[in-house]
Amino acid sequence: MGALVASSAVRTCFGDGAQTFAALLSGRCGAGPLRYGDPAALNVAVGYHVPDDVGGDHAGRAGRLLADCLVDAVRRAGLDPARQRVPVLVGTGLRELGGVEDWALTGTPFPLSRLDFGDVVRTALPGVADVVTLANACSAGGHALALAQDMVESGDAEAVVVAAADTMTRSMLAMIGKVTPEPGTRVRPFDRDRTGVLLGEGAAAVVVVGEGGPGPAVARIVATGLSCDAHHETSPDVDGIVRSMRDAFDRAGRAPSEVDLVVAHGTGTALNDPAECRALREVLLAAGGDPLVTGVKGAVGHTSGSAALVNLDVAARCLEHGVVPPVAGLREVLPEGAGLRFARGERVATRPELVQVNAFGFGGVNAVTLVEAA
Amino acid sequence: MTPTLLATGWSVHLPGVVLAESLDRPGAWAHAAAPGPDQAATLLGRKGLLAKEPATRLALCAVHRALGLPPGRRPAGPPSPRTAVVACGNLGNVKTVADIARAVSTEGLKGVSALDAPNASSNVLAGTVALWFGFGGPNLMVCSGAAAGADGLRLADLLLRARRADRVVLVGAEPADEVASALHGTVDARGGLRAGAACLVLRRAEGADVVGGAALALLPDHAAWPRPPHVVLGPDGFDPVRHWGDCHGAQGVVSAALAAHLAVDDGHGAVGVRDGSLAVLVEAAGGGGG
Repeated sequence: MGALVASSAVRTCFGDGAQTFAALLSGRCGAGPLRYGDPAALNVAVGYHVPDDVGGDHAGRAGRLLADCLVDAVRRAGLDPARQRVPVLVGTGLRELGGVEDWALTGTPFPLSRLDFGDVVRTALPGVADVVTLANACSAGGHALALAQDMVESGDAEAVVVAAADTMTRSMLAMIGKVTPEPGTRVRPFDRDRTGVLLGEGAAAVVVVGEGGPGPAVARIVATGLSCDAHHETSPDVDGIVRSMRDAFDRAGRAPSEVDLVVAHGTGTALNDPAECRALREVLLAAGGDPLVTGVKGAVGHTSGSAALVNLDVAARCLEHGVVPPVAGLREVLPEGAGLRFARGERVATRPELVQVNAFGFGGVNAVTLVEAA
Repeated sequence: MTPTLLATGWSVHLPGVVLAESLDRPGAWAHAAAPGPDQAATLLGRKGLLAKEPATRLALCAVHRALGLPPGRRPAGPPSPRTAVVACGNLGNVKTVADIARAVSTEGLKGVSALDAPNASSNVLAGTVALWFGFGGPNLMVCSGAAAGADGLRLADLLLRARRADRVVLVGAEPADEVASALHGTVDARGGLRAGAACLVLRRAEGADVVGGAALALLPDHAAWPRPPHVVLGPDGFDPVRHWGDCHGAQGVVSAALAAHLAVDDGHGAVGVRDGSLAVLVEAAGGGGG
């Protein structure tokens, strides 16, 4: 059992997937001045923005980034949704709630049909009928990926487009500003002196097909494990995260010690990074594993609902190119990370065989995906 | 046709609606009170409701009733990893989000409460149901507009078939605050927005070790009924939206749960739901209940 990623398209502050990977390998940080809302009032000074010549102005920006990725991924997979039934699952944290905020602040009309991404998908991909918008916070893309694999494995569909998009809302920025003493200048995942999370705009789309599907594939998804902490509204729980990892290995029929690269969630928050480290130690290290650990949020910010698919794209490129980018912004590893082998400072030449991709979200929703070369 | 799903519990929770007045042969369930968001403590107990949005409270009430729990009680012990949650709704946090944006623009962060942090995320409803009742399985928040309920039913079926859960708590909820109602006014609906919730507790029909319940056959959009239903819910039959108002993203769950009540609790035989992309035939399972 498994599924193939026939194509993958992402948009981050650095551009498309190839540009993003090149920037990651160079250790670059895409943070810049916050270009949304009122930075002083929000107590947030920095964002990881997609360039405006790609995203346009902020109204409907998530949808435009999404449409870009959808068209790109579907074209490269050689898929024609007008000729075959192709369900589309869109993961998102914040939907187009920025439009609701604009409406509240200025009276700019906001049709409710634009809150989810159904219309955006049907316009970008003529012929598509089934569009599901999953608002699963920062692991939305990982959840959509799990369901897509279930759909192709069960024969419900031959191909499924999994996509994700998130930009920013004032309300989420306000919550970040509210819990941050000093506005952060960049995300420092797994750093002892990390200062919290900052948002990154992003979108992604992957075409998932069954094993033995026609055409080339960029990676093979072995399995995705899911769990909900059911522990706390916003604080992650090690036990819940561990369950999602074990679920992935159970579904895959693989051993945790086989993982040789982790593309971690790593948000640079006080709570996520220690919990994620403890879970990795409990599941992978305790089983005799010694994986390299990397993460992208120091470079591209937290792309929320897109984060899992951005990680997946990076994992596929690590598999293809035999090189792993360092964790941008990581200077000194937090105490809970002792024993974990982080990619620091420089790119690491290595050819991983089994990659674990982590995504955890508000509400304790966890998705862990195992990926290997196609 | 083999029913794909077995419902072992259900509830329709529409505060302010006297369900019995509209129904032929209403059972005791249709006379039960549905406390509104501000009275949710009468069902749920007082602890833990602070800063919970109305849609979240309604969802908790609906799940509480579908599980048949006594007032103020909830399951104790570690989370049950084999129970998934599929929540459907679009408007639960729009008022919070609008209020936060307004507060920031007039008084900065002083006007914002950190207690609202979970509510800034659109999946607060699904996560809160899991946390409240201890459901540790996959947790999905479906926000596909009016089709969310229909999507939720299909995803519940998928989670069960893919063995990701032994039990799925499908819940739909929408509020009807001024922001939600204003946004809902921009869509073409058969009724105004109605605050409400509903829940179905679902298992796989094959091999279920449960006696009774409601069997749900999920049909493709335009498929003919495998058997003619005695009652049809939707625009072509008894239309809950025209009678009680539109629960928008929760409507599909409301209609399906109402069908389970009618088929099993009230002995109406086969009850069909057909509305937009939702088509489901509901009957008493194993010949029980009518």
